[in-house]
Amino acid sequence: MNAVNIKGLTKNYGKNEVLKHIDLEVPEGVIYGLIGPNGAGKTTLIKALVGALKPTQGSVEVFGLEPIKNRWELRKKIGYMPQSPALYTDISARRNITFFGRAQKIINLEEKVQKILEFTELENRADEPVRTFSGGMQKRVSLACALIHEPKILFLDEPTAAVDPHLKQRSWQLFRSLAKTGVTLFISTHLMDEAMLCDKITILKDGEMLAVNTPENILSMGKTRIELIRNGERLKTEISSKPADLLSELKKFGLDRSIENIKINSDNIEDVVLSIINNKK
Amino acid sequence: MQTIVIAKRVITQLKGDKRFLILSIVAPVIIVYFLKLMFNALTKLTVVPMPEMFPMPLPQLSTEKFVMPVTAFIVHFLSFILCSILLVQERTRGTLERMLISGYKKSSIILGYVVGYFGLATIQSVVILTEAIYLFDLNFDGKTLVILFMVIWMLAIVSVMLGIFISTFARNEGHIFPFIPLIILPSLFLTGVIVDANELPKVAEIIGYLLPLRYANNIIQIIGKPDYVLSEVILNFGILLGYATALWFLASKTMKETE
Repeated sequence: MNAVNIKGLTKNYGKNEVLKHIDLEVPEGVIYGLIGPNGAGKTTLIKALVGALKPTQGSVEVFGLEPIKNRWELRKKIGYMPQSPALYTDISARRNITFFGRAQKIINLEEKVQKILEFTELENRADEPVRTFSGGMQKRVSLACALIHEPKILFLDEPTAAVDPHLKQRSWQLFRSLAKTGVTLFISTHLMDEAMLCDKITILKDGEMLAVNTPENILSMGKTRIELIRNGERLKTEISSKPADLLSELKKFGLDRSIENIKINSDNIEDVVLSIINNKK
Repeated sequence: MQTIVIAKRVITQLKGDKRFLILSIVAPVIIVYFLKLMFNALTKLTVVPMPEMFPMPLPQLSTEKFVMPVTAFIVHFLSFILCSILLVQERTRGTLERMLISGYKKSSIILGYVVGYFGLATIQSVVILTEAIYLFDLNFDGKTLVILFMVIWMLAIVSVMLGIFISTFARNEGHIFPFIPLIILPSLFLTGVIVDANELPKVAEIIGYLLPLRYANNIIQIIGKPDYVLSEVILNFGILLGYATALWFLASKTMKETE
C-alpha cells in the first residue's frame, strides 16, 4: 500500500491555479522530497495532504484515508511540521510537546516526551522557554511536537530552511533514522542540494510537476563536460552524466602519453534541478 | 479532557504574558477612574442652573443608573477585544492550525479558551466592581452585590465567546478592529445604557435586543429598584447564558479547519 495517493489534484484560489493536476504516489517507508522554488505550491500540497486545505478537484489519500472526510482517524497517523515553528514561545519545549501530545490519547506521555527530547537532542534545554531558542532549535521542537504520537507518516514543510549547515546535517540524520523505523517522510524544500538526501523526489514549479524520479536518475539527466589537452591542443566535449557515457567518451581518446591534462566537470543535483525548472520557463 | 488541557495552556500563557495581564486589569481600572472624573464634571454642570443650555434634566445620567452599566460595558469591550486578538494570534502564529491537525476539536478549543478566561474574568469583575463602588460611594446590600458581580462576570464570559466567534472571521489582528464600531459601540447606544432602549426607533430597539449588553443592563436596572422580582433577573441571566451557548455553537461552526 502506498502511503500517499494523489490523483488529479488541483487547487485554485480564485482564478489563480496553485496546483495543477498533480498525480503522485509515495511508497511507504521512504523519504520523499518535494523540491521547488518558493511559490511552487509545496506548502499547498502538504496542506491538502494533512487536511488543512480542500482540493478544488481531484482526490487525495493518505494510507487509504481521505484527509478531510476521515480526519479523526488520519490525525492519529500523521505528524505535521509547518513551515513556521507554530509553537508557544512563552512555555518550554517540554510543555509544547506535551500540549500537542495531549490532543491524542497517548499512554505514558511524559515518558515519551522525554524520549523525544533526547531523540531531538533537546534534553539539556527542555525546560527553558522556547523564545530563548535559536531558529534551528525551534525547528527541532516543532519536529518533536510532530513526532510525539509516533505517526506513520511525517509531513515536514521546509524543515531545514534557515538552519545552519551543522544542524541541517544533524536534522537529515534524524530523518534517516526515522525512515529506518518504517516512518514515511514527506519533505518539502527549496534547497536543491537536499534532493540527493531523499529516496525519491518530485520537482514542482508553479503548481506543476516537472519531474518524478530518484535523485540518481535526476542527476543523470545532467551534463558532463570533458576538457582535454592533447599535444597542446584543447579539446572540449559535452556528454550526459550517465557513467557509461563517460567511459565510452574517454575510450575514444585512449590514455596515451599525448594527453597532458583532463578536466571532467559534471552537473551537480542543484544544477540539474535548476535546469529542469528553468527549462520550464 | 481536551478542554481542560487547552484551558491550562491558556492560563499558563496568560500568566506568562505579564503585559497582557496588567493591561487586562489596569486598563479597566483606569477607564473607571476616568468615568469618575467625567461624573464629577457632570455633577458640577447639572448643579449650576443653565436653563438655556440644558432645558431638560439628565435623568439617565444618574450615578445609580449609569455607572454600573458603563462599568459592565468596559468589561464587555476589553474582554471582547483582548480575547479575539489572542485567538487571532493563534491563527497567525500557526498554532491554531497545528492544534486542529494534532487532533484537538474546535468545540474543545473554544470551550478551553472560555474556561481559561474564567479566572481572569473573575479578577476583572471583582476589581472593577470594588473600584466603582468605592469611587462612586455606592451602597448595595449583599444580595445585590452578588448579582452585580455575577452579571459583570457573566458578561465577561459572553464577551469572550463573542470575541472567539468574531475572530473566526479574521485572518489577522487588523481584521478585528472593524468589528468594534460594528458590534461593540452600538452596545453603548442601543442597549439602554445611555438612553432608555424603549425610546429608540423600532429598528434600533431590535438591534439592541441582539446585543448581550442589553440583558446585562436589564439586570442592573432591575436590581436597582427596591422591590425587584428575582425571576426577571433569572430570565435575563438565562438569556445571557443562551447567548453564550449560541455563540459557542456558532463559533464551532464558523471556525475554519480547511482553507
